[in-house]
Amino acid sequence: MMNKKGEKLISVYWFAILVIVAAGIVLMVNAYYGNSYDVREVESRVLADKIANCIYFGGKVNPLLLTPQGVFREDFRDLFMERCSLNFSVEGEFTRIPYYTSVEFLSFESLRSQFSIFAGNNNFKSDCNIKVEGNEKLAKCSEKEFYMKTDSGKIYLVKILSIVEKTNENTN
Amino acid sequence: MGKRRGKKGEILVENIIFIVLNIAFLAILVIFLVNQGNGATFLEDSYSKQVALLIDSARPGMIIHINFESAKVVSDKNGIPFSEILIINGQYATIRLSEESGKSYHFFNNINIDRADPDKDTNGEYTGFYTLVFSNKNDE
Repeated sequence: MMNKKGEKLISVYWFAILVIVAAGIVLMVNAYYGNSYDVREVESRVLADKIANCIYFGGKVNPLLLTPQGVFREDFRDLFMERCSLNFSVEGEFTRIPYYTSVEFLSFESLRSQFSIFAGNNNFKSDCNIKVEGNEKLAKCSEKEFYMKTDSGKIYLVKILSIVEKTNENTN
Repeated sequence: MGKRRGKKGEILVENIIFIVLNIAFLAILVIFLVNQGNGATFLEDSYSKQVALLIDSARPGMIIHINFESAKVVSDKNGIPFSEILIINGQYATIRLSEESGKSYHFFNNINIDRADPDKDTNGEYTGFYTLVFSNKNDE
């Protein structure tokens, strides 16, 4: 009688089940909380939005982008980071810049590139074309396009590509 | 009669011990889960990224209030003054909730952050919120 009671209460099987369940929960919780939040996709979209707002905001083209004759200004390309309030500089001598962005202005009629701007580390550009599962170690890309109408009535298709790498900060 | 009463007693005691053990097991699990979710490292990672993304989205003239109540609980527990948990240095937002840890995240927005201070109530106590005030870099 005593043995039966003991078996029922402190049964090895019962403790084995408890341990298995507890270990499973601990593993699942660690897998969830142990992983960093991956915010690179959101970050790349924010970057693309910021550049889009810098180029064309409220139906008005940035006055520093075009000359009064409607020609793209070379100095906008040279001073792109400053003009759009961007700063990609990172701490550390051998730390690579974790961003890349490109802006392409295509003619509405011919869809030919009329002007383009690049900034950041273009080594990550190839990551955007790799479509594989488990690609969290690759940089995250975001594309945005919209039409821009200048004061002179010319229409351009603007294509923005923004890339954020930051693999170490966002993956384990 | 006496035997029957004894059996009922045994069943009751067994069930009570069984239920108590189960409750204890569940309680330990819940405490573990809550501690994991409120861990300094976990909160530092999420808060530093949230702050960096907010700064990236900010425009000159904006005032942003950020809720740091969960972080305040942890920083108070670890003896870190609430006024020192958020440090914005250069292009990095750093959150530090314990002496041993701290997490930084880079932001790309080249904006001037005029103020990044904790809010206080009328009694001078920290409310658990931070206020960030932004202006144009050229306005400096």
